[in-house]
Amino acid sequence: MAEHDLNSLDPMAFTRLVPTREAHFAKAEPKNATEYPPNRLARILHPDCQHLTVAAIEDNTDSAKTYTLKGRDGSVAYFDAGQYLSLSLKIGDVVTTRPYSIASSPRESLEGVYKITVKRVEGGLASNYILDNWTVGSEVTASAPLGFFTYEPLRDADTVIAVAGGSGITPFLSLARAIDEGAEELSLTILYGSRRESDILHRAELDEIAGRCSKVKVVYVLSEEEKEGFERGFIDAELIRKYAPDTVFSVFLCGPAGMYSFVDGELEALSLERKYIRHEVHGESYDPEGLRGYPGACAETVKITVKQGNTERTVTGSNKDTILRILEKASIAAPSHCRSGECGFCRSRLVSGRVFIPEESDRRRLADEPYGYIHPCCTYPLTDLEIEVALS
Amino acid sequence: MEKQYDAIVIGAGNAGLACAAAMAINGLTVLVLEKNSVPGGSATSFRRGRFEFEAALHELASVGTKEDPGSVMRLFSSFGIDIDWQYEKNAFRVITDSYDATMPAGIEDFCREMERQVPGSFDSTLAAFKIAAKVGAGIEYLKGGEIDPKVLFNEHADFMRAVSHSVDECLDALGMPKKAQDIFKTYWPYLGAPTDKLDFAHYMIMVDSYIRKRPAMPHLRSHELSLALERVILNNGGEIFYNCPAKGILTKDGKAYGVVADGKEIYSRTVVANCFPDTAFEKLLPPDAVPERALKIAGARKLSSLFFSVYLGLNKSAEELGITDYSVFLFDSSDSGEQYERSASLDTTCMVVSNCLNCVIPDSSPEGTSTLFITTMLRDKAWGEVRPEDYKRQKNSFAKKLIEIYEKKMGVSVMPYIEEIVIATPATFARYLGTPCGTPYGYELSDWDTMLARIMNAKNEQVLEDLYFVGAHGERGDGYSTTYSNGNSVGARIVKGVKKNG
Repeated sequence: MAEHDLNSLDPMAFTRLVPTREAHFAKAEPKNATEYPPNRLARILHPDCQHLTVAAIEDNTDSAKTYTLKGRDGSVAYFDAGQYLSLSLKIGDVVTTRPYSIASSPRESLEGVYKITVKRVEGGLASNYILDNWTVGSEVTASAPLGFFTYEPLRDADTVIAVAGGSGITPFLSLARAIDEGAEELSLTILYGSRRESDILHRAELDEIAGRCSKVKVVYVLSEEEKEGFERGFIDAELIRKYAPDTVFSVFLCGPAGMYSFVDGELEALSLERKYIRHEVHGESYDPEGLRGYPGACAETVKITVKQGNTERTVTGSNKDTILRILEKASIAAPSHCRSGECGFCRSRLVSGRVFIPEESDRRRLADEPYGYIHPCCTYPLTDLEIEVALS
Repeated sequence: MEKQYDAIVIGAGNAGLACAAAMAINGLTVLVLEKNSVPGGSATSFRRGRFEFEAALHELASVGTKEDPGSVMRLFSSFGIDIDWQYEKNAFRVITDSYDATMPAGIEDFCREMERQVPGSFDSTLAAFKIAAKVGAGIEYLKGGEIDPKVLFNEHADFMRAVSHSVDECLDALGMPKKAQDIFKTYWPYLGAPTDKLDFAHYMIMVDSYIRKRPAMPHLRSHELSLALERVILNNGGEIFYNCPAKGILTKDGKAYGVVADGKEIYSRTVVANCFPDTAFEKLLPPDAVPERALKIAGARKLSSLFFSVYLGLNKSAEELGITDYSVFLFDSSDSGEQYERSASLDTTCMVVSNCLNCVIPDSSPEGTSTLFITTMLRDKAWGEVRPEDYKRQKNSFAKKLIEIYEKKMGVSVMPYIEEIVIATPATFARYLGTPCGTPYGYELSDWDTMLARIMNAKNEQVLEDLYFVGAHGERGDGYSTTYSNGNSVGARIVKGVKKNG
């Protein structure tokens, strides 16, 4: 009968624990500063910020330009096609950020270059500022590449039907380039909607890639013109079906909000599984009354007391603006990246007051709600507020 | 003159938060600096689409119930925190090339199931848990301060044996059959050390805390735990600055007296670093302030496990997929030593720890969906140089391998149902945690670098006066319950010092 005890082991080994430990220290080499491979990769892929210079400007159409941005130290962070840069901008007294999809290919980033396309938006603060002020040599501060609007081989179908509207073509241009260069493995058919032929952005590059690479196809769709060689109308279920393969496919959408609501309706007819439909997020709305569930604000002007680190300020703003925009208009540099509720970088604590968060933009963590956290980029004030914002 | 805090805590990980909460609740003025926009370090969650994924927590030990609270619940209660805990049905399921065992929680039930799996193993399994109780008593005796070698030898000999011998040596000595030993050693990846080097006492503290009290998960992910601790700090006058990395620790005459952050010097009586000592030596402390001995200590130690995790949001429920168990350990070999050896490389490793949170918290994802968390623990050199342009391909190919191992061993299909996927590599952990190699675990536990040796020698290993290190790299190693308790006890020590000196 075996005894189930530790009596065969020497308890006095206990007394050797500390001396053995000290002996290991005594014979060790002092630790040198070491950057381990995972830390190096993290630093290269996710720098805190990137200092860029405008190296070239190309006119696309009357209202759009493409800017070549070069890393000031010669390098920029690598990215996956579909990601964006969050640009830090100072426009008059306003300190703000804007996300712009990277239009160039991941391979070009290895040569220290990104390209972004900026299209003029009527009354748009950032697009007008950039188009009217940036010249070759302008200095630009950007985030690391961000965002989840990327092709995921273990999730997405082998074929992607991209539905693009206006400047929403840029992430797909990058993806097409990445396919052409062998960085991504999928078949891509881009259905690119524009009003008129003259509004099409990056047509020469798109045609060139499609001509060379059997995995990329581009179909131009014009809503206000009838022309030989173009599809006419809006991108609807019939058109998608016409260009879709017989096998399973994913649909990626990037464009204005109006396009999403139309195409989403059309997609219902195709009975795709939800996982095969993906949207790029589309930025803030300045019309909360147009958003589903808006209860109405108590006053048109609200007062917000903002604590940031050791400083505290009270600012006023319009109930039509997101909290983030109110802070930015008051020259408060608050953190932000996606401006769509998704990335959570602007996450702040609501100490008091009532707010409206549109359900479709509410991407907070579950515990954030009971603990009073909000994403100011997609949150509208209904009353005067007190908030705590992270340092920028 | 800038405000002087009693303490500045660098990093809002579990230990940093617990330490800050312990100090704030006892009246100290506390500032916490966190480089990320959320608290918690590893104890966090993130959103993708309609899913919210737990970032690193597999299961919490030492929670217990209100009637029979474990150390975590006692600590949280002492802070006035009430968490909605959800409990696992079983402790774990383990599938290897030669067996498939589902082990229940509760010591009696666990031993009985072990007997059913391996006839003749009941007594030795029960004996192992009895040693766990003796380890607890031994630690309590040492905590008392006055140590009489005779009392120690006469009353705590098994404690002395368990802290100075490996898991393998002790299970052999207890006469546990080989297969029962293999099943018993299933939890080793949670400590990341091979069982021929890891001391039995440490392993038993962990196993006992999982088996005696059922493993638990917070209803709203660990983000809830981190926010609850944050609130204790804020409600007691403490402050937390997010997006605010510490850039340096101020020192003078071998003492720390503040931190450089937010572009200025901030002064404090004490600095608590919830970062690795290695990180502080390289990035925060002036080189001439770091004693040679501290660098030799860091040089002697090895880094513990790295994580590679795949988070899947699935568009089918766990029931539809046929997933019934929360924690499943999948090993190709039943031998823990071989499992450890193979985890040295992406090519050879075949260990998967999988968790389906819906099995514990059915509403943790929308109706008709589920989440699956698949992790493999790797040794520190398993993740070598990867060029940025190769990263996406490499991480997807390894994630695919792990998912395929899961599907094959579990006999379920998940690949076609992936609605969201996130792949976290050691580089991802390095990005958020800032630890060497991205390890969430601290220094590797080994036969000379044991928990008890660390605790007994702690006073001789303090780097600078008024500078404390807390976290998984601390004396007690990795784990939620251990890092909370590590932070809390350092906080209590600082409170004592401040109150004594007035």
